[in-house]
Amino acid sequence: MEKTSNVTAGLGFGPHARRDRASSFVRRWGGNALTVFLYAVIAFVFVTPMAWVFGNSFRSPASIFANLNPVSWKTFIPFDEFSLNNYLQALGVGDVARGLGFALDRALLISLVSSVVVVGLSLVFNSGAAYFFGRLRFPRKNLVLMYVLVTMMIPQQVVIVPLFLVVNQLGMINTFWALVVPWYASPFITFALAQFFADVPPELDEAATMDGANLFQILTNVIIPNSLTGLLTISLLEFQFIWNEFYWPLVAISSKELMPVQVAIATQFTDRDPQWGRVFAAMVLASLPVIILFMVLQKYFYQSAAMSGIKG
Amino acid sequence: MAITTVARPKPLRWWQKHRNRVMLIGLLFVLPALVNFMVFRYIPIIGSAWYSLWDYSLLGGFREFVGIDNYVRALTRDSSVLNGFLVTLSFVVLKVPLQVTLALLLAAFASQERRGMGVIRALIFIPVVTSFIVVAIVWGMLLNRDIGLANSILQTFGLPRQSFLTSQTNALPSIVAIALWKDVGYSVIILVAGLKGIPVMFYEAATIDGANSWQRFTRITIPLLRRALTFVIVTTTLFSFQVFIPIYALTSGGPGQATNVIVHYVYQQAFVYSDMGYASALSILLMAILFVVSAVQLRLLRRGDW
Repeated sequence: MEKTSNVTAGLGFGPHARRDRASSFVRRWGGNALTVFLYAVIAFVFVTPMAWVFGNSFRSPASIFANLNPVSWKTFIPFDEFSLNNYLQALGVGDVARGLGFALDRALLISLVSSVVVVGLSLVFNSGAAYFFGRLRFPRKNLVLMYVLVTMMIPQQVVIVPLFLVVNQLGMINTFWALVVPWYASPFITFALAQFFADVPPELDEAATMDGANLFQILTNVIIPNSLTGLLTISLLEFQFIWNEFYWPLVAISSKELMPVQVAIATQFTDRDPQWGRVFAAMVLASLPVIILFMVLQKYFYQSAAMSGIKG
Repeated sequence: MAITTVARPKPLRWWQKHRNRVMLIGLLFVLPALVNFMVFRYIPIIGSAWYSLWDYSLLGGFREFVGIDNYVRALTRDSSVLNGFLVTLSFVVLKVPLQVTLALLLAAFASQERRGMGVIRALIFIPVVTSFIVVAIVWGMLLNRDIGLANSILQTFGLPRQSFLTSQTNALPSIVAIALWKDVGYSVIILVAGLKGIPVMFYEAATIDGANSWQRFTRITIPLLRRALTFVIVTTTLFSFQVFIPIYALTSGGPGQATNVIVHYVYQQAFVYSDMGYASALSILLMAILFVVSAVQLRLLRRGDW
């Protein structure tokens, strides 16, 4: 049998990992030790930062710093002190917190509402567009397709200033509309949905047409019910994108009442704040919803990531 | 009996013909999206090309038509622009090869069908779904000179404390590390999907023909992973050119101008110094450069049909 090193077994190019494991007792345990070691290193690198934030979000600053050095399990797990004070303060519960101007509760609400509204609008308008590109006949449809494709080549962060100037002309800067209106349609999502719609057998459309269904009824009664997985994937992607969006709301929203949570975090809770527990609590509140969503619906997140380079 | 004249059917207007009606209704499905792309994607660029020819600010309005002077200023008189491009380039050159290599190794590891690999993939992906601003602030605290966890770990192992984000030499590599940590999982997932698509029999055939593991990697894995790799390289490069959030949150371009990447410099010009005309010109320049970069990259990666 071909001899491969344990290193390649660990890297697992193809089927060899499995074959090696069976080939000899020593090699098997050597290979597993390497796997476990790599496993531990990866877990350490990717988990430590957020674990530290989460554990210390229940502590007072004194307790955070007292347990910081030397580093041990106590640095991460708050056995000495466990209180929800930081969370209450971040959410602006109580006179002290209100006096200091913390109101993450409102920011969370703004983020939630704007993300949900964008997802809703985007499902409606991108489904329509995807239906057009995937199913309908139109003269010179290629030109329309080009028109949409070209927009995908425009880098998002680079056009923030131009976008700001246009939205400003429309009088939407510093209103809730600035957070949702520019994103109600997206070329990426249109094409992703078109892919999913393409998997619905065209015979179903034809049958529905025979039964007298119009185009709109075909979309809502045939195409959409048959691409629910795709729609869920897209919705997650869009929700995560809008929830985490930072640069655009940073420039488009200046009033505190309308700030979504990521901007509120950056402007009200920074690493310059000596009350680190409060900062940690705010960060947990801002990222936990999407992380939990990811844990529950991992499969769809992977699908949406693999599907395209969507960040805008 | 009166003779009734048979009414000649009026010729149908073109929109009344069935075929055209269906076509028009079809257009209604796509129209809202087309309007969005016109208003929020095309007009901004056309508009900013126009604004870039003016001395323009939000409060002052169009003060003076300056023609191409904003461009001349950016390319010849403003040393911060050159610095911005160079810093951005260093960021890209540092980050992209590291990210692709790391992602390839991690993907090779995480694509194995072993127990616990699902968890590993999830762990690597968590930073991807976490907002970059949160990641940036967390790392700002971790890397704090006096009270950060990273320095506590160094000290626990008896190593000297380091200043990361406040040091002229360490700041940019630290930002690269943070961005790597945040983004690598995204590349990993795409490469894992690619690796899983390679048929096992290719490896078996190569093994029978006596190929060693390195040959199998370079002759089978890399060529068959080309599509996924191309995608990862191109998107990573494009996104890296646009890095903004960690700079904004952690260094504000400092110390000095050491991390003032071009997108952050544009932000400063537009929203700190309210020089919108100039910021528009810089945006147009950057867009042109990114267009060329992605075109060249796609060309280079498509050539060499292994």
